[in-house]
Amino acid sequence: MENFGHLLDGFATVISGHHLIIMVVGVMLGILVGVLPGLGAPNGVSLLLPLTFTMDPVSAIVLLSCMYWGALFGGSTTSILFNIPGEPSSVATTFDGYPMARSGQATRALTLAFVSAGIGAIAGVVMITLLSSWVAGFALQFSSPEFFAVYCLAFASFIGMGGNAPAKTLVSMMLGFALATIGMDTISGGLRLTFGVHDLIKGVSFLVAVMGLFGIGELLLTTEEGLRFEGIKTRIRPLDVLRTLAEIPRHAVAIGRSVLIGIWMGITPAGPTAASFMAYGITRRFARNASQFGKGDPSGIVSPESADHSAGTSALLPMLALGVPGSATAAVMMGGLMIWGLTPGPMLFIERPDFVWGLIASMYLGNIVAVLLVLSTVPLYAAILRVPFAIIGPIIVAVIFSGAYQIANSTFDMWLVLIFGVAGYVFKKLEYPIAPLVLAMVLGDKAEDAFRQSMLMSNGSLSIFWSNSLVASIMGLGILMLAWPLIGKVMGLRNHVRRSRQNPSTAS
Amino acid sequence: MSEENKRHLSRRAMEIATAIATAAAGGAICYGAIEIGIGWTETGPAPGYFPFYVGLLIIVGSLANLVRAISIRDWNTEIFLDIEHARPILAFALPLVGFMIATLLLGLYVATLLYVSGAMIWQGGYRWWVATLGGVAVAAAFYCIFEVAFQVPLLKGPIEGWLGIY
Amino acid sequence: MLKYLSVMALASAVAMPALAFEPNRPVEFVVTSGPGGGTDTFARTVQSIIAKHKLMDAPVVVTNKGGGSGAEGFVYAAGYKGDPYKLTFGTNNEYLLPSVAAVPYKAEDLTPVAAMALDEFLIWVNGKSDFSDAASFVQRAKAKPGSIQFGGSQSKDTDQILVSSLAEAVGTEFRYIPFKSGGEAATQLAGGHIDANVNNPNENRGQWQAGMVKPLCVFRPERFPESQPVYDGKGWHDIQTCKEAGIPLENYRMPRTVWLPAGAGEDVVAFYRDVLQKVSKMPEWQEYLEKTSQTDQFLVSDEFRGYVQKDKEAVTKVLEHEGWLIK
Repeated sequence: MENFGHLLDGFATVISGHHLIIMVVGVMLGILVGVLPGLGAPNGVSLLLPLTFTMDPVSAIVLLSCMYWGALFGGSTTSILFNIPGEPSSVATTFDGYPMARSGQATRALTLAFVSAGIGAIAGVVMITLLSSWVAGFALQFSSPEFFAVYCLAFASFIGMGGNAPAKTLVSMMLGFALATIGMDTISGGLRLTFGVHDLIKGVSFLVAVMGLFGIGELLLTTEEGLRFEGIKTRIRPLDVLRTLAEIPRHAVAIGRSVLIGIWMGITPAGPTAASFMAYGITRRFARNASQFGKGDPSGIVSPESADHSAGTSALLPMLALGVPGSATAAVMMGGLMIWGLTPGPMLFIERPDFVWGLIASMYLGNIVAVLLVLSTVPLYAAILRVPFAIIGPIIVAVIFSGAYQIANSTFDMWLVLIFGVAGYVFKKLEYPIAPLVLAMVLGDKAEDAFRQSMLMSNGSLSIFWSNSLVASIMGLGILMLAWPLIGKVMGLRNHVRRSRQNPSTAS
Repeated sequence: MSEENKRHLSRRAMEIATAIATAAAGGAICYGAIEIGIGWTETGPAPGYFPFYVGLLIIVGSLANLVRAISIRDWNTEIFLDIEHARPILAFALPLVGFMIATLLLGLYVATLLYVSGAMIWQGGYRWWVATLGGVAVAAAFYCIFEVAFQVPLLKGPIEGWLGIY
Repeated sequence: MLKYLSVMALASAVAMPALAFEPNRPVEFVVTSGPGGGTDTFARTVQSIIAKHKLMDAPVVVTNKGGGSGAEGFVYAAGYKGDPYKLTFGTNNEYLLPSVAAVPYKAEDLTPVAAMALDEFLIWVNGKSDFSDAASFVQRAKAKPGSIQFGGSQSKDTDQILVSSLAEAVGTEFRYIPFKSGGEAATQLAGGHIDANVNNPNENRGQWQAGMVKPLCVFRPERFPESQPVYDGKGWHDIQTCKEAGIPLENYRMPRTVWLPAGAGEDVVAFYRDVLQKVSKMPEWQEYLEKTSQTDQFLVSDEFRGYVQKDKEAVTKVLEHEGWLIK
């Protein structure tokens, strides 16, 4: 209950006209940054850093963190409307968000995404409020073997049910692994698979691949079908927002589970991108009707969104409590903390409670402000779909390519986007699944680093992955996930048999 | 990419071409991996260990896809792309390549202006001055957002140089 | 009047040919680390001081190019031969990287402008570990070679080179586990998953405050200057130097360096040198150094070149010994 008192103090610090204005400004800038694919939340936050040098630390962190929330929301918008993830963590939202928007329900898709994201974020903050000290200790137990186990679990929960052509899933996923390998190798300190091409030293950016595979690939498919978005026919009614709100309780289970995944991934810290993929995969695995996934299933939207945002907010906890950033954006904010004269770490809670609890209070308020802001603009976003394709198409192309250039100031990346675009188009028409490629690209090099670090720790013995209860149980969970379809079949068969025994007439 | 007859590209041809392309990528990955060592040393796998098997799996998967492409009958008659659909794709893709080349020669802002206006004229049938206005508006918005507000420089060409914009 | 003005103009042109350069478009600060890294904080601190005291009229744009352990940024800058608007921020990785990895630039592709500070290295162990001082640590390491695990940032970079030099100096072996950043190495140490790390003061300060890690000794010729106590009544000044602890490795530091692309004119180098010199005199800079426990050391021209030469020679010996030099 001590924390509760601190939190009230925090609210007292933060609730003022000055701070509310900062929140609105931060969220709006964040949405802008999130919508534009080249500018990510880390860029946006680091660009605002110089502005904060003259502010007091509480106002500064309110501005930066609100920008972060805004960027997380903005990233989902373009995923749903144009199949272009503005942020890596909103890739999983495209799987069902974009099909739903295309079927004429853009308003519903956006509302679902924003509200579930808001719930995820608030859940993350509640966790920070109540459990900060315990959770920080939990995060410390994670070392390379545990990380490897977590990545395995993420893969296991997502893969295993690939479409009708397992070989295509295999090729797609392995290409993703190979792409993640390109560039500097952390463990050996040497370059890999760069084939003497200078522009490959920095590696192939995940965003470049995603913008090509999803964005340009989708535009090619759209033009083939006749240059227009399907969403054009629907009327946009503000009432739809309210109707969708009433629908949310039906997804409570999916949201609850995804929030837990998100919080876990945020604090360990495996990051929001892994969280959103894992939540999507697990929701699909436990869904009663998995065939609807990928075609606009509402729980396919709420799961990655709530996981993404709960991970995004929880990622600030290890930063505050341990001095370990849980995400790229948190790393930038930590740089800011140092410049403002604060030392991120366990003592921050004791030395500067006004700052820490002010920040936590602002996380509640900032996320509420963000949800209200984005919800009120839903009809506006959906209206973008009514702009003629001859205008919006080229603008999207220009945004994608300028974004690709911004990532590393390199025109090489723009050509890569084009190549990925053609590959995305061909893959989609030939039914190669793209999601495994993307997942492998995000987690591939991290998983490999964790594996090789573990091998260094254990002197090359694989038994390290079963060496303590934590790593062993995560590994076991992963194997369970991988085998789940099989278990499900066996269970289903048994039920089937039992039912047919009881009532032979309905069995056939 | 071989065309089985003049008017369309069959799905089988495309499947085969794609499988060959991915297999080639797998081969390149294996080659790159062998160069940096693919063994298992006493301190764990060498840098090329995982990439090598990743490349190998790509080759195996591609071969499976190749066999499948040849064996599935329906794909011979299924159309991947015909002339009718190829036209809009080319109408979209060629300006895209033009946009890239313009970017290299003139910088991103001018290329954006040309591309957006051009697409509005050719694909949307807008009048030239409406289209030009649209192009200028997008390029100007880019400049304000990226260059001024977020201080992210985009590629600039000779025209910005003459105008004294850096 | 006109005549007077033109004479004045002529006189000033003759009198100050060396200061002819003055940037008239945005200067790009190329940061060879990701956002939030040590080099990033360094560059952004310089940026903020320049902005606050208006030390330069042209605006500054910071771009992060930390790919390939910073090689991305150096290759990028090396590609702008003679461009006076690309100022690159790094450490000693500028001249280390080309020796250990096949990166497509040479150390000579960049012209040194200044080294602005020296970052320190310490041996840190977990706060609960039974090592009370550096001597007992070394003793254990010698008794069982290869049993102690050091974590550090990157591979064949400053951290691993130090661990390797340390092993050679005391005559034993350590295991080294590379992580993506010093921050990760800090967490792993706080969680007790590795035995030690050689982080910079700033990377472990927060954990030390909480007693989760503790310093054993610092690779610095003298102790840190007096300062506030950090944990358990001990401050930076109370940390032994490694030499005091009997480790024959007196000095190991990492310079915070600034570079221009090769071929930049002498006037250009002089201009930025003056700006950075002014930055280093500002109270905000002193505050930054104090907060991050770095050592104030402003090196330019021949002094800087000499430092680079010496550092390179020392490091190359280690690289050769370990067989890391690329042909």
